[in-house]
Amino acid sequence: MNRHRHILLAAAAAVVLTVTPANAENGVLNDLEIAHAAYTAGEIDVRYAHLALAISENASVREFAATMIRDHSAVNEAALTLVGQLNVTPQDNDLSRVLVDTATQKRAELKAMEGKAFDCAYAQNELVYHQLVNETVEGHFIPSATVPELKALLSEALATFKVHEGHAEHMVAALGCST
Amino acid sequence: MSRPYLIASCGIVAAAIAAAASVAAADNRPHRVVVRSFAFEQQRLEVKVGDRVEWVNEDIAPHTATAVSGEWDTGALTRGQSAAISFGAPGTFAYRCAYHPQMRATIVVTETEADGAAH
Repeated sequence: MNRHRHILLAAAAAVVLTVTPANAENGVLNDLEIAHAAYTAGEIDVRYAHLALAISENASVREFAATMIRDHSAVNEAALTLVGQLNVTPQDNDLSRVLVDTATQKRAELKAMEGKAFDCAYAQNELVYHQLVNETVEGHFIPSATVPELKALLSEALATFKVHEGHAEHMVAALGCST
Repeated sequence: MSRPYLIASCGIVAAAIAAAASVAAADNRPHRVVVRSFAFEQQRLEVKVGDRVEWVNEDIAPHTATAVSGEWDTGALTRGQSAAISFGAPGTFAYRCAYHPQMRATIVVTETEADGAAH
């Protein structure tokens, strides 16, 4: 689990700290790129959850997955509403692409598993993924966002994702997965 | 034993139960529990028999107020939605959010003075 976390964090940190989009100053993501990356991160977790519902037979894992679909869909729906109100279009960016590429690889790994091996891999990935997303949202997105409505939405989303991180941590412990 | 009832949005069921139960909720205004930041703001709420309790979700994430016993359930409440339950008998009702099990609280229903005098 730690190896996967380090790879994810290193990739995300490298992108967040070094990306220099043509329309951004100081080498940080602009509001539209932040919105895109945050939305993408939510969609990725929804896809992980659908995979869990398709493979897992563990009640607690399935319950967690259903909650991820419900909560991330609600957050992303709020994001779409905000985008519509502001009449803007989120911008694809290097961080979004790294998130998508990493998730594609991880889903391929998970699809090859079943039973407790899948449950543990899914649960551990959820814990690592939420840690990564929360660190990025709290440490980079919120400080960098300049639109007050976006900053507020990110802050509220972060509170939701931190609950997910705690839930994932509990799930990993309850499953008795080896680290 | 009468059980708590989910109040229909039209209020017909609510009016019937409140009229038959007690005078405690004479103005028929429910006790309001705000659901915010993944918590029920009143961890312990004391009401009288016949009173209604209304949950209002202010979070982005959907929540429920679901009796641990399974006797009653508001169903999913998205942001801004609310639902009410009428409590027709005394008792202590532990409840939680069905989606976020760490969210827990309790409703304590006591008899009205009129009910107590009648016994």
